[in-house]
Amino acid sequence: MIFLLIFSEAFPQIQNYPVFALSGLIFWTFFSTTSAHIMGSLIENSAVLRSLAVPPLVFPVSQLMAGLFNLFMSFIPFAIILHFFGRLPHISDLLVLPIVLCFAGFIMGVSLALAALNVYFRDIGLLWNALLPAFFYITPIAYPSDLIPERMRWITEVNPLYHYINAFRTVLYDGLVPTAETWYVIIAMAFLSIVIGGYLFKVLRPGFIANY
Amino acid sequence: MSGTMIELRNVHVDYLVQRHGMRSIKSYLTSFGSKRLLERKHILHDIDLRINGGECFGIVGRNGSGKSTLLRLLAGIVEPTKGHVRINGHVAPMLALGVGLEPEMSGWENVRLCRMLMGHQRFDGEGVRSYIRSFSGLSEDDLEMQVKRYSTGMMARLGFAIATATDPDVLLIDEVLAVGDVAFQQQCYRRIEELKARGCTIVFVSHMLGEIQRICDRAACMENGTVVKVGNTHEVGVHYHGLLGIPL
Repeated sequence: MIFLLIFSEAFPQIQNYPVFALSGLIFWTFFSTTSAHIMGSLIENSAVLRSLAVPPLVFPVSQLMAGLFNLFMSFIPFAIILHFFGRLPHISDLLVLPIVLCFAGFIMGVSLALAALNVYFRDIGLLWNALLPAFFYITPIAYPSDLIPERMRWITEVNPLYHYINAFRTVLYDGLVPTAETWYVIIAMAFLSIVIGGYLFKVLRPGFIANY
Repeated sequence: MSGTMIELRNVHVDYLVQRHGMRSIKSYLTSFGSKRLLERKHILHDIDLRINGGECFGIVGRNGSGKSTLLRLLAGIVEPTKGHVRINGHVAPMLALGVGLEPEMSGWENVRLCRMLMGHQRFDGEGVRSYIRSFSGLSEDDLEMQVKRYSTGMMARLGFAIATATDPDVLLIDEVLAVGDVAFQQQCYRRIEELKARGCTIVFVSHMLGEIQRICDRAACMENGTVVKVGNTHEVGVHYHGLLGIPL
């Protein structure tokens, strides 16, 4: 809320700043809370994992489901705000769903790696929580991406979060269909993230029991 | 039930653990990658064991000899690094009582949750419910209450009731009966006897030789990650006491 009030003054060039900011913020919140929850899910349930034959993957998956549920719930007030700013729902808004799917895959991959490493090294959690605010400010969520100077543009380009946030914003704020290039990038990143995260999880899994 | 129920052939279990002093990423990064991060540690080795159907099998051994890891292996929580584990039936592990009980949920909700975690169906029949009511000795009011308000004994009762509600083929017990009062312990032993009479195979880990001799037919003694002696409870008891240096 404070965000919206202050920054809408700071960026007078952006029309409907609250809609602009929220179309990034709700997905950022989805990313930061879900990744943190998945990361902690194994050690929080270590008592169960130590004494019952439950596949460890159950806990990260359930956290992802919970995160998705919360995200969809936050769509309701968001839709009301959109309506308040005179933006009527459109059939192309449904494009958010496949983007959410890719984003969820991306988050799952990253978080599986974090969760698995967190079992061995407990400071991974602290490190991640310290890095999250940095990611928040480095990603154009509260400010428009063209505010970034040309020579620093590459930082945005290599930041996976930017591409997802950008896709969401294209659909929800601009009311447009993301370009084919955007689709390739977000699908490829989700795929890569799951493959790498899943592989790390699989390799580290046999040692979980000794390190919970 | 007869024949071999559990068979372990040349089983080895290694754990992947951090190297000494490498508990945090920080210490790894400050060593600039000069040290290796993880190493293998041998927990169990060369285990050959055969447990017959309907048998009550005891396992004794010192702290850290690998008893709990062996039970986890039988429960399917740990996979063997080498060798084969074969179990012909449904295993009900009871490695800790009251594990998986969610403090914010009611007794009944926990019964459902825990039994789902154990691989049972989502909804239990009236048989299971009435068994849990009668075994745990908890009233319907207690079972509707949030588990965080339970006493330790109530949780143990509920935990034992959940674990033994359906007749398993194999029941694994890891010194969980040390909690609870004498009446509860006797109730547990009665249930164990009952399951045994119905042909359930029981693997029982305990420090207390007396308990093993009371309920088990055969036993094994573990030392340094392997089985050093298998035989009747008396032989194993003598061997175990020999290891401890205490005359029987």
